[in-house]
Amino acid sequence: MAMSKTTNTYNRQNWEDSDFPILCQTCLGDNPYIRMTKEKYGKECKICSRPFTVFRWCPGARMRFKKTEICQTCSKLKNVCQTCLLDLEYGLPIQVRDSALKMKDDLPKSDVNKEYYIQNMERELARSDSGSGINSKVGEPNDLLMRLARTAPYYKRNRPHVCSFWVKGECRRGEECPYRHEKPTDPDDPLADQNIKDRYYGINDPVADKLLKRAAAMPALPPPEDKTITTLYIGNLGSLTEQDIRDHFYQYGEIRSISLVPKQQCAFVQYTTRAAAENAAEKTFNKLILGGRRLTIKWGRSQGRQGPSIGNSSADIFEPVPGLPGALPELSNNFFNLEPGHIPLPNMPPPPSLMVPPMFGPPPMPPFFFTPPQASAFATPGASSTAINSTAASTVTGESAIKPSVHYPSQDPSRLGATQLLADRQE
Amino acid sequence: MPKVRRSKKPPPEGWELIEPTLDELEQKMREAETESHEGKRKQESLWPIFKIHHQKSRYIYDLFYRRKAISRELYEYCLNENIADKNLIAKWKKQGYENLCCLRCIQTRDTNFGTNCICRVPKGKLEEGRIVECVHCGCRGCSG
Repeated sequence: MAMSKTTNTYNRQNWEDSDFPILCQTCLGDNPYIRMTKEKYGKECKICSRPFTVFRWCPGARMRFKKTEICQTCSKLKNVCQTCLLDLEYGLPIQVRDSALKMKDDLPKSDVNKEYYIQNMERELARSDSGSGINSKVGEPNDLLMRLARTAPYYKRNRPHVCSFWVKGECRRGEECPYRHEKPTDPDDPLADQNIKDRYYGINDPVADKLLKRAAAMPALPPPEDKTITTLYIGNLGSLTEQDIRDHFYQYGEIRSISLVPKQQCAFVQYTTRAAAENAAEKTFNKLILGGRRLTIKWGRSQGRQGPSIGNSSADIFEPVPGLPGALPELSNNFFNLEPGHIPLPNMPPPPSLMVPPMFGPPPMPPFFFTPPQASAFATPGASSTAINSTAASTVTGESAIKPSVHYPSQDPSRLGATQLLADRQE
Repeated sequence: MPKVRRSKKPPPEGWELIEPTLDELEQKMREAETESHEGKRKQESLWPIFKIHHQKSRYIYDLFYRRKAISRELYEYCLNENIADKNLIAKWKKQGYENLCCLRCIQTRDTNFGTNCICRVPKGKLEEGRIVECVHCGCRGCSG
């Protein structure tokens, strides 16, 4: 700790000198004309307790005179205003900004550790010279912070303190008293006990807690439970074209399709993957402004359907085509640890309509065809198993199973592709 | 104890007429000097001093320049005896400073930005209609 200005300047925390304060717009006040006094080594920095240059000015009529509370090094480290300790771009408490930007800034807080750190940082800052050091924290404007930030300057911060004599009923000054004759803030209010060190280090700041709670309560779009929905409903389109939408939404993932409904001023964007759709929803919900208007984003039900809904019914359910091998069921005994979608299809016997059992020999039967106990669930279990057992019976059962339901024209044996022999056989 | 006289000569004629008022003012001054400081701000306790000082000088200035009730000799005797403040009266002779409260309020070296005291601002220019008591002498506006 430097005791006087000149003692031991080598490798010690030096007193700070500066030319101009680092301040935010609200602290400076509404008047563009300001007179400011500068006092070298006027006070100790509230954080690092080094003497530093104190600037003092009046932020407007009926305002108390404000002065810089922390030194420039401390304010540059956190990119905050020297007086109010709020972020220079957003005007938000340090804790809020750090949690939104996911920045962990571990400044040492105690005694010699802190002095050592500040001393080194000051040297770094002096060497690297403005510009870069401060800009490194800016990056692209964070959306959450922009929404939390105030839009207009909050001059209530600059008001004079409450007249303590008036609170007791003893204020003799009356009209000319420069202090506020108002009720003081409720001491039970959690916002009442704030501490400059806590606010600076971003711990235990009641204002920040309040803002973060508000941030968490902001509207959000939950993904629908049905995992197969990958469509987003986009409303309030106005005059946007499909190309505009495609140009914007392609960045979130591969678009499967876009359908516009100009009558309803909306569009449905369908992605190939669910992840892409969720990503798009997160990035655009309540944020996207295209063509000058904010688009309403909701989860869609299906392409072309009107109206948004967090629906879970998928697209029109079609009947399974009869006569075709059905989708593989979930294996209850997953002997081979196979994923349900990845089971290599066994060499299924050809559809019964073309099956001529004895002529062409028994269909090649892979061994494990017998092992799954769920063999009955297969579409042609009866046919296949009985084919092994009795050839004659199978034809009968096979025929009775398929004869009435010819779904595709090609299943009709009388069409092209079926041999005349077969056709004779079937009829 | 009567006030100490620096000059050995006796005061000129007309002194007896003004003496009682001056005595009274001096008495007030002594009281102001010995008042307790309770319930007053630090600067506020000095305000009566400045006020009485102003009153004394005003009395003599008025007698000579306005009412012309005393002779120049007597007037100058008062100035020499420091009954009235000659610097303050010098200001009162200037245009715009006729009602100047005290000399501190026009001393620009005393202020941060080299200006006069707030009490020197004419009430018309001082928007907001707020009451000011200047910190030096408690004056509520000495011009305009």
